[in-house]
Amino acid sequence: MGATLTYTEVELVQGLSTRDEKVFTYLYDHYSPALYGVALKVLGEEAAAGDVLQEVFVKIWRNIDRYDPSKGRLFTWMLNITRNTAIDSLRSKNHKLEQKVTDVNSASLMYEPQLAVHLSVDHLGLSKVIERLQKDQRIIIDMAYFKGHTQEEIARSLEIPLGTVKTRMRNAIIQLRTLLKQV
Amino acid sequence: MNSQDFISSGIIELYMAGVASEQQVRELNAAIAQFPEVAAEVEAYRRSMEAYVNMQSINPSADVKNRIFSNLNNTPNLQQVLSETDNDLQPTKVVYMQSSKRPTWKWIASIAAVLLLGSLLLNFVFFNRYKEFKGYKDKYESLLLSQNSILSKSNLYKTRLEQMQESMNVIQDPKVFKVSMPGTKAFPTALATVFWNKESQQVYLKVNNLPEPKADQQYQLWAIVDGKPVDMGVFEMGDTVNLLQKMKVTGKAQMFAVTLEKKGGAASPTMEQMYVAGKIPG
Repeated sequence: MGATLTYTEVELVQGLSTRDEKVFTYLYDHYSPALYGVALKVLGEEAAAGDVLQEVFVKIWRNIDRYDPSKGRLFTWMLNITRNTAIDSLRSKNHKLEQKVTDVNSASLMYEPQLAVHLSVDHLGLSKVIERLQKDQRIIIDMAYFKGHTQEEIARSLEIPLGTVKTRMRNAIIQLRTLLKQV
Repeated sequence: MNSQDFISSGIIELYMAGVASEQQVRELNAAIAQFPEVAAEVEAYRRSMEAYVNMQSINPSADVKNRIFSNLNNTPNLQQVLSETDNDLQPTKVVYMQSSKRPTWKWIASIAAVLLLGSLLLNFVFFNRYKEFKGYKDKYESLLLSQNSILSKSNLYKTRLEQMQESMNVIQDPKVFKVSMPGTKAFPTALATVFWNKESQQVYLKVNNLPEPKADQQYQLWAIVDGKPVDMGVFEMGDTVNLLQKMKVTGKAQMFAVTLEKKGGAASPTMEQMYVAGKIPG
């Protein structure tokens, strides 16, 4: 994020609407790590995440006119595009249920402190949060949020009752919010 | 449901994790529109989720950036909106594993196109087969026709052969006498032969050379028994002359003769019209 000048969201949207490449460059530099992080979390593979990121920025560039500021912040909009594109890409690979379980297990390696070093920003904050978020809570959030699994799929995959999924999910989100307030 | 009830219902948390049902999302949107406290709560949760996401930021490689920027510069029609992007732009998209299995219009269109192509191909194949078949059908019908004519001819030949065989049997029978009847003075070229089985008393006639009679006339064979003519029957000319014709029976005869009579035969022979006559040897 080496950009010296900053834009407000309104300025960003205006700049993108007028196809200002400087604004787009700023947008990329400013948001691509977060969006790439999401794509990588979803797909667990750098090449696929890079492809998704490219698709995401093309969509942002082409569809900025469709962004409605009254419905939410620009980052929320871009994040939704990224999650949906990445999850669609993941599904188009036709992963089997067994592979999903494997994905969860390998994805859970990402929370191990020694692997957190390749996280470029705020890894100190993340590890603080993650330390205090129980492992099963992290897994359940990430399966839902990053892998796009339904509650039923999570219940099947983790072999726990559906009611437990709901309760654990709710507690995990509340816990996350509480922890992040403290960071 | 008031705003506090809604906030403590757990729907917001499920929504944040992306696992709220469509029904729950509708309820949430209604509650956001109705209660500012709910809207604030949703926004607070959203910020915490986004902070969680932000913490996991990773810088993509420079190569990815280069690809993205060269891709943008090489995209001539930037205003073009991809239909598929619509879904991704929805701020509160609820995702289900099953939803990706829904066939899109593209799928349906490509399947329809494939089916159409297949149908055209089959039309072509079957039309060719039909033409081929029609050709075969014509050939088959003409073959059937010629087979029928061959069959009837063959039946004719078979009959003819049987008749010939019968004639041969008569001629080759050692009990049968052959009586040659040369032409009389009035008809020197005429010739006929009688075959007579003395045991069965059956008389057969073979015409060797007799002129074709008028329509109201017929040849008649006579046996001369003890000086008196005995009627042995009239006989046919035409194609039948090739065959041995069965005549009447007689136990005795010294001579055979053929006269030309009115159709149906006469009670006594007309001597002037005697064509052939032959004595029995011995």
